Amino acid sequence: MENQDENKEGIGGMINPRRYGIERVAYLLMRISGLGLLAYFIGHIYETSSILQGEMGWQEFLELTQTTEGHIIMTIVIGMCVFHTVNGIRVMLGHGGVGVGTPARPDYPYKPASQNTRHKIGIYSAIVLAAIAMMYGFSVMMGH
Amino acid sequence: MRESIIMKIHYGTALGAVALVAVHILMRLTQNYAESLEYANVIANYQFIPYAGMLEIILILLSVHGFNGLRVILLELKQGRAYEKAVSYGCVAAMIGLIAYGSRTIFMVNMGMV
Repeated sequence: MENQDENKEGIGGMINPRRYGIERVAYLLMRISGLGLLAYFIGHIYETSSILQGEMGWQEFLELTQTTEGHIIMTIVIGMCVFHTVNGIRVMLGHGGVGVGTPARPDYPYKPASQNTRHKIGIYSAIVLAAIAMMYGFSVMMGH
Repeated sequence: MRESIIMKIHYGTALGAVALVAVHILMRLTQNYAESLEYANVIANYQFIPYAGMLEIILILLSVHGFNGLRVILLELKQGRAYEKAVSYGCVAAMIGLIAYGSRTIFMVNMGMV
């Protein structure tokens, strides 16, 4: 039992993006974006409840969010949302067996069939699409 | 409940939320972004029953997906009978609390109680 505990890296192990390539980075980004989006969602529910305080309450709360800082936070939320969606679809397809290759005898250098170019392209696409959506979202919020 | 069923719910809520959140965001873009957030516009949105219904569905889908995701992350970090039960029940309680709080806003504005 003690040995098992010694081998546990805890949060440090979970947030370490090194050693396992882009898939590990995607794993970390998926969790960070998920937690960020959950925090935003709770904040959004709280923010929209200010409408119950009438027009004054709504305007006051809206003014807090309609600032440059507010727009920057929204831009990050857009990026997290797009990455989480696109990468989530990739993960779902992978769990369904799509794009993970066919089973084969494990021969040296033991390259996992599932960590292939198709899934790597999926991860990079998620990052690029998130960046494009962030730029578009920021321009819309700034009224361009 | 079996984890395989929970994961199916997790993926189902994700796909449903993606479609409905896209509609929710597109509603902001049907007019100027700042204009769409004006008090009268937002009240009109809430009082349009199909839209209010969609907001309620989004609230449920995202709460279930979000808190189940949090549960999965917390269970990856640490395991143990008591810990797993505490995390699972805690997430369900938070999920119900958030749905109740969000539904209160939707119902009250929809019924003109502002």
